[in-house]
Amino acid sequence: MSNLKIAWRNLWRNKRRTMITSASIFFGVIFATIMSSMQEGSYSTMVDNIVKFYSGYIQVFNEDYWDKKTINNTYEITDSLIKKIEDVEEITHYAPRLESFALASSSDITKGTLVIGIDPEKEDQVTGVSKWLTKGSYLKPGDQGVLLASDLAQYLQLDVNDTLILIGQGFHGISAAGIFPVRGILEFSSPELNKVIYMELSSCQEFYSAYNLVTSLVIMLKDHYDIPIALKKMKESIQSPYDIMTWAEMQPEIVQLIGSDRAGGVILKIILYMIIGFGIFGTVMMMIQERRREMGVMVAIGMKRIKLGNILFIETILIGFLGVFIGILGSIPIIGYYFNNPIRLTGEAAKAMIDMGIEPLMTFSWMPSVFYNQALTIFILTLFMGLYPVYKTMKLRIDQALRA
Amino acid sequence: MILSISWRNIWRNKTRSFVVITAVALGICAGVFSTAFMKGMMDQRTQSAISTEISHIQIHRQNYRQENSLQLYMNESMAVVEQIKKINHVKGVSQRIIIQSMIASAETSSGVKIAGIYPENEKMVTNLSTKLVEGKYFKGVPKNPVVIGQKLADKLNVKLHSKIVITLQDMDNNITAGAYRIAGIFKTSNSNFDEMNVFVRYDDLSRLLALPEGASHEIAIFVDDNEMVDTIQSRIKELIPDYEILNWKEISPELSYLTEIMDMYMYIFIIIILLALLFGIINTMLMVILERRKEIGMLMAVGMNKIKVFTLILVETVQLSLVGGVVGVFTGGLISKYFETHAINMSMFAEGLSKIGWDSMVYCSVEIDMIFNVTIMVIIAGIIASVYPAYKALKYDPAEALRME
Repeated sequence: MSNLKIAWRNLWRNKRRTMITSASIFFGVIFATIMSSMQEGSYSTMVDNIVKFYSGYIQVFNEDYWDKKTINNTYEITDSLIKKIEDVEEITHYAPRLESFALASSSDITKGTLVIGIDPEKEDQVTGVSKWLTKGSYLKPGDQGVLLASDLAQYLQLDVNDTLILIGQGFHGISAAGIFPVRGILEFSSPELNKVIYMELSSCQEFYSAYNLVTSLVIMLKDHYDIPIALKKMKESIQSPYDIMTWAEMQPEIVQLIGSDRAGGVILKIILYMIIGFGIFGTVMMMIQERRREMGVMVAIGMKRIKLGNILFIETILIGFLGVFIGILGSIPIIGYYFNNPIRLTGEAAKAMIDMGIEPLMTFSWMPSVFYNQALTIFILTLFMGLYPVYKTMKLRIDQALRA
Repeated sequence: MILSISWRNIWRNKTRSFVVITAVALGICAGVFSTAFMKGMMDQRTQSAISTEISHIQIHRQNYRQENSLQLYMNESMAVVEQIKKINHVKGVSQRIIIQSMIASAETSSGVKIAGIYPENEKMVTNLSTKLVEGKYFKGVPKNPVVIGQKLADKLNVKLHSKIVITLQDMDNNITAGAYRIAGIFKTSNSNFDEMNVFVRYDDLSRLLALPEGASHEIAIFVDDNEMVDTIQSRIKELIPDYEILNWKEISPELSYLTEIMDMYMYIFIIIILLALLFGIINTMLMVILERRKEIGMLMAVGMNKIKVFTLILVETVQLSLVGGVVGVFTGGLISKYFETHAINMSMFAEGLSKIGWDSMVYCSVEIDMIFNVTIMVIIAGIIASVYPAYKALKYDPAEALRME
């Protein structure tokens, strides 16, 4: 305890030096936290766009579906399957889906698109489709109409109450064709979702002649921490002919993209912390040089070298902590503000991001790891820097030091 | 005088100067290298977008890009192509029929953009023929060859020589379908492009659509010199004033925007590095003047004026940071130069990067401008860092400073 006290007092013997050093750490920490926060924030937006608005955390497929995504590899939802899913308490909601491609056409414009047959009520609980509705009305049970995503609607030049023609290939090659009124327009935040068609499940099954069949069951959990538990339970009870996949397995590119971006961020932070490390090292050197005589006197009158080294070690770490503390304190209001008010990009910047399939929104993360990772880094850094004064006290030659 | 004094001063405490110099050098080296790396990545993206996706100049009927209607075709495209080919610096001209439609394999189907092209013309415009991973460019299949992307082939679960069916709406609004055989499979650095684009021969598609002879929706032009794009664009505008003639920046403004924003981002990054270094330099210089208190007092006592004392400290700081800066710029530049010809392999992230259209083999791109700017920034940082320590030195009272041990 007394060591800590002495170290703390020593720090304030040269206020300016302590302040400059902690200022450099403060600055580094603020930058690193804001950067991490933005990165993590953008990853969660990316994942949310996929998980919460489309794929759910887990999906149940026919075991052949993932390799051959055809409407023939579908399955019927049985009561026993439903029971098995409802038995897993981590599952908050689930929704059946029938997905396939079709040629969508207005009068003289056509485009191949993904058609998603949904149970309007259940789907809304899982992915909240209805909240993207900008025009018209949401699907009702047994509805014969469709919902168009906005980019597609614009491409086909269709609006609410217009007629959409769909042509495709149904179950076991039966040709599928139909005319559907447009009930509403959906405007998704995710560019990739913005070109699909939503249809009521039973009319979709009728269109594809895939009566009672679905391609997948979309499973929603409370949050991603529940994935491993729910997955384990589901894998125990639900076996062949079903297959269970998590969102990360379904979207390996996104996981990789996040991985590469995170790696880039880590490199930037390493560079930054390396520079800060040199700054701290400079201070430590200066401290030793300035106090050589004092140290010599102390050792000469019988202070144990190890105790002196210990005090200097604590001093170094304290400077680090001081900088981290004010740094985190300073970054909290900035991150807090942008956490609640994400930056929505416009113009070319937005287009560039949409072009890459990413929502043009800069969100910040409020995750504790954003903050404590910086504290941890600085702590480890100062731990190493602190070894230098210990080494120096051990090698101190009293006769020379006293004459300094 | 001052220059040589300050230079000697730096080397009076080698360890200390060495720490600062190493910090500056490492920071600047890392800054220069990451800038060259990002720049290289951006350039590659732009380059591949131009050479595989959009070309330098595109010609459409007015409103085609908004309405995407099959009916908005250019009818005398053959003659136009021949005329444009004669312009200097035009390397290739390719007319295309474009239709958004559906493609189906035996198992599944997907929405794609289908381009009907003349393979020989297209070869001169896009480098797709060099991106084939399997099969040949419209060869090896007797009838109706089609070239599709790897990603789409995986999605449709088809192989080379598999049959696929394209369903579309023809000129008379009838739904028709045509069977094609896969002659080649390409893989570019952009997996979205590979998933969304299909190429067939002009004649095969034109017949299926019942388009009049010589009609096309798009004419793409590749220019052998980037600087000439604007000139050629205006030449073409004179030739065919009624059409919409756009260069790649107008077609895809986000591409050049991305480069700009990345440039800005990299400068911000270097400024942040310099700011972090600033604290280290200030700290060191404060230590320097504290140590030389007696000496500075002496200089002032024997009549060195304040401006000179100030300049001495300033020059010393700038020299200190500049040594580090030059070493950093030099090593960073060398490393980047090496990686200009040797790709940095990021294939562990290949699929992820490909999703946003970026190559996983990255070649750095060093710009002299950037290196020059960074050096200037280091000097500015040195000047800023010197102000406070130099000011402190001026505040010394010679009488008191001299009495120090």
